[in-house]
Amino acid sequence: MYRYDEFDAGFVKARADQFRDQVNRRLRGELNEDQFRPLRLMNGLYLQLHAYMFRIAVPYGTLNSRQMRKLAYIARTYDRGYGHFTTRTNIQFNWPKLVDVPDIIDHLNSVEMHSIQTSGNCIRNVTVDQFAGAAADEIIDPRPVAEIIRQWSSLHPEFSYLPRKFKIALIGAPSDRAAIKFHDIGLKAVTNGAGEIGWEVWVGGGLGRTPMIAKLINSYVPHRDLLAYLESILRVYNRYGRRDNKFKARIKILVHEEGLETIKGQVEAEFAAIRGGVLTLPQEELDRIAAYFADPPFREQPITTIDVAKARILEPAYGRFLDNNLNAHRVPGYVSVTISLKPIGKPPGDISTSQMEAVADLAERYSFDELRATHEQNLVLPHVAIADLRAVYDGLVAAGLESGNAGEITDIICCPGLDFCALANARSIPIAEELSRKFAAPERQKEIGELKIKISGCINACGHHHVGHIGILGVEKKGGELYQITVGGDGTENAAIGKILGPGFEAEQVPDAVERLIDAYIARRETADEPFIAAFRRLGEAPFKEALYGNG
Amino acid sequence: MEILTGNELASGATVYLDANGNWGEDLQAARLFGPEDKAARDDALARTKATLRILSVEIEKVSVVGGRIVPERLRERIRATGSTAPVFDRQHLGENDHVSI
Repeated sequence: MYRYDEFDAGFVKARADQFRDQVNRRLRGELNEDQFRPLRLMNGLYLQLHAYMFRIAVPYGTLNSRQMRKLAYIARTYDRGYGHFTTRTNIQFNWPKLVDVPDIIDHLNSVEMHSIQTSGNCIRNVTVDQFAGAAADEIIDPRPVAEIIRQWSSLHPEFSYLPRKFKIALIGAPSDRAAIKFHDIGLKAVTNGAGEIGWEVWVGGGLGRTPMIAKLINSYVPHRDLLAYLESILRVYNRYGRRDNKFKARIKILVHEEGLETIKGQVEAEFAAIRGGVLTLPQEELDRIAAYFADPPFREQPITTIDVAKARILEPAYGRFLDNNLNAHRVPGYVSVTISLKPIGKPPGDISTSQMEAVADLAERYSFDELRATHEQNLVLPHVAIADLRAVYDGLVAAGLESGNAGEITDIICCPGLDFCALANARSIPIAEELSRKFAAPERQKEIGELKIKISGCINACGHHHVGHIGILGVEKKGGELYQITVGGDGTENAAIGKILGPGFEAEQVPDAVERLIDAYIARRETADEPFIAAFRRLGEAPFKEALYGNG
Repeated sequence: MEILTGNELASGATVYLDANGNWGEDLQAARLFGPEDKAARDDALARTKATLRILSVEIEKVSVVGGRIVPERLRERIRATGSTAPVFDRQHLGENDHVSI
């Protein structure tokens, strides 16, 4: 993974010292809150319902064991013994005190981490596929380019005060595991006619109160021109994006209102002016950064046979883990292992300090010291020898992290909701916990198959409800909570926005309503292998609407 | 009826203005402002702002039920007690975090 050089280290140290001084001045009363608020937000420090919330960047979701142990130390020393992984592959602490935050930042810097640009109207943490550099279907590892984009976008002088926040995601494979079509810019690795790898550029996607699927603005941009092309898009957005209305300030609105062809023309004009200039990415620089992401010393593995069928019978929990939590690796003898942070009845994405340390140990011992955070609020050990799978599983059992539910109905994405978030209108974690309990039985989850439930506690959609196969949105109604249910959303290459089929439900009605949708699906699917989302596309809304609301 | 609530600067803890002009953790000690108390309420808001130590100050509607103050909004009931899932006690003030107007 990328290692800080002297410039990087000096840069984050200077920023940490600056923020320590700003905190001290605030505590001494030399700054008021109007002056301090933008400064703390630039460093990832929010004020939520109960306390401050501190968001730490995990660039493209990549961590090593030293960093994970440091996060555990911070959680234990300065917070309440746990952390919360987010849908932007960051980690949040919900209970820090202002006076401690400068020390926390110093600790982060000591392991090459920081919290810069985890808030504010700037380019946020760049995300990639959680299996980047490992997936068997990948045509290129997107992390070197993600790192270059991170460096380009960090404190970019033109783009620190954009009309609104800006999110970029990359995928290096045909299967979109990074939801690129729901980002301000999505980049997908493609090959041109000459067999050279470059980037398909999608623009104007997003969730929130106005969900939009991104539009293809350029079908091939070579590596060398990518930064100039991104800069061109950002310049057009910075110049023409709306600043009069916060709810219409994202680039998706600009693209929608002006039309793709207009935006494309403006971007091309800007690109023509700056292409070949200072932002040209030399192959030597790409190679230099790529060297940080060179393969770990994979070893030729002996053929290891795991009798999954036998495991399913003799050790159902292990069998289920093998069925659901492994992803094919490009190197024979290895797999990527998903560590589910979705134990039954617990808050999605939460992890205790002892679990962080256990995961760090497993990464160090069995995955070449690499970990990934996923936008689905899980963790991944990207490079595990098949021969070590049993030991990894046993380690996860000891840590209480062995849930074999990756991709199943209880692998729920969920925002913090009204239990923590100052923007939320309704609680989301209790809904996730109840759904998890209702569908806890492994046999039932297997019967249902792949199904993604995503829950947001307000229209800002941090829980990605628009792209849930079943999405749940909490709203406030008459001082209470009400939940709208959407069906048919999809965050993959088959991008779709879920549809609201009727009135909302009280919290206690939601689990039964979801079960009626599930039962309608099972009753009508063509085979047991037809996933929920495929059945919905084939059948349309009618049977699902009837399941929720009856014939009336 | 209304109360004044906010978050204390150093700890971030939820606090309420009481009848003695102190910002403290106890919702039940919060000063109640009626419709006739608008001037007093606005004066308290101005004095609070001058301390620089209470953030996100809000005027919240409450009812008094069985002698107890109950915020009308669920959001405020959660702020008063702590998160419901996972269940955590609310944030508390440090020794030097008490603010008076």
